[in-house]
Amino acid sequence: MLSNLVRSPVALRAISKPVAMTTAKMSTTQLLSKSTYRTPDFGDVIKEDRNMDKSRVFSYFMIGSMGLLSSAGAKSTVETFLSSMSASADVLAMAKVEVNLANIPLGKNVVVKWQGKPVFIRHRTPHEIQEANEVDMSSLKDPQTDADRVQNPEWLIMLGICTHLGCVPIGEAGDFGGWFCPCHGSHYDISGRIRKGPAPLNLEIPAYEFNGDKVIVG
Amino acid sequence: MSFASVYKVLFKRNSIFVGTVFVGAFLFQTTFDSAITKWYENHNKGKLWKDVKARIGAPEEAEDDE
Amino acid sequence: MFSKSIFNRVASKAAARTMATAAGTSAKAASSSKFLITGAALAGVTASGLLYADSLTANAMTAAEHGLHSPEFDWPQNGPFETFDHASIRRGYQVYREVCAACHSLDRVAWRTLVGVSHTNSEVKAMAEEFEYDDEPDDDGNPKKRPGKLADNIPGPYPNEQAARAANQGALPPDLSLIVKARHGGSDYIFSLLTGYPEEPPEGVVLPVGANYNPYFPGGSIAMGRVLFDDLVEYEDGTPATTSQMAKDVTQFLNWASEPEHDERKRQGLKAIIILSSLYLLSVWVKKFKWAGIKTRKFTFTPPKPRK
Repeated sequence: MLSNLVRSPVALRAISKPVAMTTAKMSTTQLLSKSTYRTPDFGDVIKEDRNMDKSRVFSYFMIGSMGLLSSAGAKSTVETFLSSMSASADVLAMAKVEVNLANIPLGKNVVVKWQGKPVFIRHRTPHEIQEANEVDMSSLKDPQTDADRVQNPEWLIMLGICTHLGCVPIGEAGDFGGWFCPCHGSHYDISGRIRKGPAPLNLEIPAYEFNGDKVIVG
Repeated sequence: MSFASVYKVLFKRNSIFVGTVFVGAFLFQTTFDSAITKWYENHNKGKLWKDVKARIGAPEEAEDDE
Repeated sequence: MFSKSIFNRVASKAAARTMATAAGTSAKAASSSKFLITGAALAGVTASGLLYADSLTANAMTAAEHGLHSPEFDWPQNGPFETFDHASIRRGYQVYREVCAACHSLDRVAWRTLVGVSHTNSEVKAMAEEFEYDDEPDDDGNPKKRPGKLADNIPGPYPNEQAARAANQGALPPDLSLIVKARHGGSDYIFSLLTGYPEEPPEGVVLPVGANYNPYFPGGSIAMGRVLFDDLVEYEDGTPATTSQMAKDVTQFLNWASEPEHDERKRQGLKAIIILSSLYLLSVWVKKFKWAGIKTRKFTFTPPKPRK
C-alpha cells in the first residue's frame, strides 16, 4: 500500500511541485513517473536474491565461447585458402636439386637442370681462383668481388642464363676464359662476371648449400 | 574470483571482451590441435610410423623430402 | 502429424469412393461385383505366382555374374578414429615390390610419399636410385639416363599399355595406385581376391585358355593366377609370411596408396566434429538467450473508459 502511494503520480507530483514547473530539467525518474504508461509489477516472478552476477557472467561466457570457436574456425578457413596458393608437394619436391660434387673433376664444368633452368657448376683450379681474385674492380661493368659470388672458392655455382636476353652461355669460351654467350656475344670471366658485350649484369647466383660431398641447389 | 570481479575484469569493456575472444581463439587453436593429436596418437599407438621407426631402429633424421 | 493427416485424407477419400460404388451397384448387380472381385483376386494370385516362379529361375545379378560378395574383415583402419597400421604398410610395400610389381604399375605414387609413412628418407632415396629414368639429353643430343630421385614416381614394369598386354596374353594388369577405391568392396575385395583362388575350379565351369577361376572376380574367370603362396617373401621384422598375412599387408599398402591422406583426414574429422557440434549447441543456447525477451513479452491494451 505504501509503495503504491509513493509510486502514484499524484503523490509524486505533490512532492516535487517546484521541479515539475520546469519540465526541461526533470530527471528520467521524474519523467517516468509522469508517464501514463505503467511498468507492470514483476514482483512474483523476480527472484528474491536480485544478484545477477552469476547468470550475467554465464551469458557472456557462452556468447564469448561461440565467438571464440567461430573466429578459430574462420581463421582456419582463411589459412586453408591461403595455403592452397602455396606450392604443392610435387612442385616443392622438384624445387631442390642435389648434386654429388665428388664426381666433378678439377677444372670441369657440369650443367644441371634446376626448376627447368640450367645451373653451371665449375670445379675451379687454384689458378682460376687466383685469376678471378686479381681482376681490377674498376674494370668491371657490374662490380662484385669473387668472394661475394662463391661460398667455397673451389666451387662456382650460378644460373646459366645470360643476363642480356636469356640465352645459355657456352662454357670454357670467350675472351676472358669463362663463358661466352653465342647469341649476342657477351663474355663472362671465370667468376661469371660480365666483361664485354651487351649483357648488363653478372650471371645470377642461386641459393645453395653444401652438405658434405653434395651441394643442394634451391 | 567472484562472479562480479570476473564481469568487471573480462566483460565490462567490450574491447577487452572482444580482445579476449580473439586472443583466446589463437591459444585455443594450438592447444586444441595438440590435445587432439596427442589423443589420436595415443589411441593409435603401435600403428603409427613413429612407432614403426623406433621398432626398425632407424636413425633419427630429417623426414622432409628435399 | 503431417503424414498422418495425409493418410487420413487418402483413406477417407477411398472409403467415400467405395461407398459410392457400392451404393450405385448394390441394387441391381451384387452378384456381378462378387464376380469382379473374385476375378481380380485370381489375377493377382496368378501374377504373384508367375513372378515368384520367374524369380526362382532368374540368373541375372548372381554371385557368378557379379562375383562373390566378399566378407567384411577387421582392418586396422576400421572405425572413425583408427589409422592405418604402418608396419603393415611397410611389409605391404615389400610384397608389392617382390610380387605385384612384376606385372602391376603404381604410376600415381611418387617415391617421396613413402617418406615418413613406411620408410625413412635415406631408405626411399636408395630405393629410387635403383631405377633409371630418362634424363635431359647430353650436349650432343643423345638421350641420357639418370638414377631415380625422391620427386620421381614409382616406375611400372612395362613401358606402355601395348607392351603390358603383349606380355600378358592380351590382358592388361590394372594400375594399382587407386585400385582399392576403384573396386566395390575396397580392401575386403582385394584381400578376398588374393586369397580366394580354389585348388580346382568348380565342376561345370568352363574357363578360356590361360584364365583362372576366382569366385570373387566378376564372371569368375580372371587372367591373373594365384600369386601369393606361404613364405614367398621374407619379412625383415620376422612376421611369418603366410598367404593371408601377405595379402593383408599388400592390401593395407594399396589402401594407403589410394588414400594417402587417410590418417590426417580422420584426425581433422575428429577436430571438425568436436568444434562444429560445440558451435551448434552454443548457437542454440545463444538463439534462445537472444529471443527470450522477445518471445516472453506481453502486450496489454486497456482501452480508455469512454467518458459519459
